[in-house]
Amino acid sequence: MKALTSLLLGLCLAAIGGVQAATTEVFKRANVDAPPDLIISGVAPVARFAPFLQTFAEREGLVVSYTERMSNELVPVTFDADADTDDEIPSPDLILSSAMEQQLKLVNDGYAQPYRSDVIRELPEWAQWRDELFAYAFEPIVMVINRDLLAGAELPQSRDQLLQLIRAKGPLVDGKIGMTDIETVGLGYLTWAHDSRQSRTYGQLLETFGNAHLRLYPDSESVLQALLKGEIFIAYNLVGSYAFDFSNRYPWITTVMPADYTSVLMRTALIPKSAQHPEAARRFLDDLLSTSGQARLGEQTGLIPVISEAGSSDTFAFLREKSHGIFRPIPLSLQLLLQTDAEKRRLLLNEWRAAVYPQQKPATDSAP
Amino acid sequence: MSERRGSIRRQMLLMTSMVLVVVGGAALWSAHLYADRAARLSYDRLLRGAALQISENIHMLDGRVVADLPASAFDMLAMAPRDRAFYAIIDSGKRIVTGYADLPSVPFDTLLEARDREGQFQPTLYDVDYRGEMVRFLGVAKRLIEADNAETVYIVVGQTLKARKALADEVGWFVLQFVALFFVLTLALLMLGIWRVLRPLNRLQHAIAERSPTDLQPLGNDVPREIAPLLDTLNYFMAQLQISLDQLKRFTAEAAHQIRTPLAGLHSQAQNALDEPDPEIRQRQLSHVLECSESLTRTVNQLLQHANLTHRFQSQPRVKVSLRQIATEVCRSLVIWGLDRGVELVYEGDEDVSVTGDAFALEQMIRNLVENAVKYSPAGSLVTLRLTEVGAGAELEVSDQGPGISDEEKPRVFERFYRSRNIDQPGSGLGLSIAREVAQYHGAELELHDNQPQGLVVRVRFNGEAIH
Repeated sequence: MKALTSLLLGLCLAAIGGVQAATTEVFKRANVDAPPDLIISGVAPVARFAPFLQTFAEREGLVVSYTERMSNELVPVTFDADADTDDEIPSPDLILSSAMEQQLKLVNDGYAQPYRSDVIRELPEWAQWRDELFAYAFEPIVMVINRDLLAGAELPQSRDQLLQLIRAKGPLVDGKIGMTDIETVGLGYLTWAHDSRQSRTYGQLLETFGNAHLRLYPDSESVLQALLKGEIFIAYNLVGSYAFDFSNRYPWITTVMPADYTSVLMRTALIPKSAQHPEAARRFLDDLLSTSGQARLGEQTGLIPVISEAGSSDTFAFLREKSHGIFRPIPLSLQLLLQTDAEKRRLLLNEWRAAVYPQQKPATDSAP
Repeated sequence: MSERRGSIRRQMLLMTSMVLVVVGGAALWSAHLYADRAARLSYDRLLRGAALQISENIHMLDGRVVADLPASAFDMLAMAPRDRAFYAIIDSGKRIVTGYADLPSVPFDTLLEARDREGQFQPTLYDVDYRGEMVRFLGVAKRLIEADNAETVYIVVGQTLKARKALADEVGWFVLQFVALFFVLTLALLMLGIWRVLRPLNRLQHAIAERSPTDLQPLGNDVPREIAPLLDTLNYFMAQLQISLDQLKRFTAEAAHQIRTPLAGLHSQAQNALDEPDPEIRQRQLSHVLECSESLTRTVNQLLQHANLTHRFQSQPRVKVSLRQIATEVCRSLVIWGLDRGVELVYEGDEDVSVTGDAFALEQMIRNLVENAVKYSPAGSLVTLRLTEVGAGAELEVSDQGPGISDEEKPRVFERFYRSRNIDQPGSGLGLSIAREVAQYHGAELELHDNQPQGLVVRVRFNGEAIH
């Protein structure tokens, strides 16, 4: 069973390579030349994690490889089995992802191995599931707006105000609203599905976005780049850590945590059963989830640590200043299983496509 | 000896502890069963709720099964916070509509047959190992109807058993704590109770231990009903002891007196004989000394005999002895001595009568009686020893033709050292007294009667119990 599991996971992860070239970077002490002791697959861009990984690799004397992948690529393993085997990327020892529902399904389906340590016992109950899935960072889901668009109008602080702004600007924003493509970006689907449960404005959003010819991008970074290039003025449902970084650099771009509610998701880590170096993965987890590791995470990656004592970054301070009432965390629990349901996905994407691609027929197959 | 002497307290504690352990064990076991059942029922209810919610959101649309899974179903499953959950919606062609495609052992036929009286499908529960863990599954069928189309779908929802086990363990642990507390408390109360119950025994023991050896007053009767007989026996025993002590004291005083008087006589006679110049008178005085010493010897012998008998009564076990054999032996040994005095000794009686008792004592008794009779008989007279069976009992009679005893003297002759004044025969005054004690020891009565025409009949009446 275990062998089969690891084979499956290996095959499927290998299959990813075929879809899009994966970026792999190796971190180690300067004079060391050896095969990796720890293989990490993650959604976050390599550049973002590099300092943190470098520090870890040097301190522990390990060779750490980090492969950046699309969130949907990380775990197609359990969703479709038509995997190619032409790429032999070794199966990871640790998966870091913001696609909570995919991570949870991996655990639910029995692909993760449990780990318990003093560090993990210190984690709050909501920050882990079954000792197999561990949250290491918060991610508020934000909207980002180019202030040039406003021209005297007030900065929208909620979805309602955003809708008003779009209506008010009319043709000015046609084709100027961007999102990650929820059909390919896991985080996009998760947050959009979360919206569909939370908000009475969801229907209006869908309709308005569709009318305004929403533009879709393959990841958060490209949405932000498009914003920078002036391709779009408004970006919806972006990960807060990137957006805050971005708006810090470019003052005319503002990040808004919607005041009606701000979804908060958790970036999670798990050790697959097929891990080749589980011991190294556990050491990394202990470091990542310890108070000092969390503080370092905040400093070196700009992510928002889950352990509140560790929070020192500006984004975190900002997050804490806000009234907690607006945050609607996506709980790390079985409820996420719904977001992995193929039928649910088909129904949601049908609505989505009907709005976003009005000229096309809605999808009829259940595959994403 | 001390190993066999068990402690009542320890036994009571042991037994109550055993009872408590058994009761506690039974309580734990049933609580375990109950907890398992309760946990199973509660979480089965969650499964059922989730399945029903999913079921309500399955419809037919344009001939196609559409399952819009409700979030609430998953919220419900998430109430078992650490359990994995699996689900599948399967159409009548056993194709997966959505969910896990590889759920094992789905009992399609059972699901189709499980209907209540109104024909509604009922859920079926089953446990299967799936993906490396034991999973509790609930399956239920649903009939979908849309215009001309009809379709039956199966809904299967399953969950691992962590929460159930945790709940059962929690209940079990709670009950364990309760039982342990109950055990300790009950044991403490029982120990207190046992201590209280046994306290009178302790008090009694202390009361006896603190007494001086000569204090034979009865003990206070402040004891429970169960111990009262023991106390009564103790008190009776002490009363007996007191009587014996009193008797001994009196006897010692009398014996001292009885020995001291002839000794003083001896002393003065011997002194006189030393001072007497006349050989004839001295001769007479010396023969008097001899007489006195003979009398003293007899007294001392009888005292020793008495002491010996008393000791025998306390130490020797009773055995079956033949009265006839003893009586004839005594006669045989005394017949020459009697003839020397011109008295004929006759034994009458054919029956052999046995009693349980002390052969030596009985022999002493008969010997005393016969010697007395011979001593007080005039020469040429007859002493008869007769053994007869009377009903269930027996009578032993010694009759002589001597002077007899007057009626007013009869009760007194049994007193120790009592000597009739109008008798000049030497004697200690102990013979009859000893005889009566022996008779009493054997449950017999010793009576004095007048013989006809003259003389004394001493009758020892053994009652029925003594006879074999």
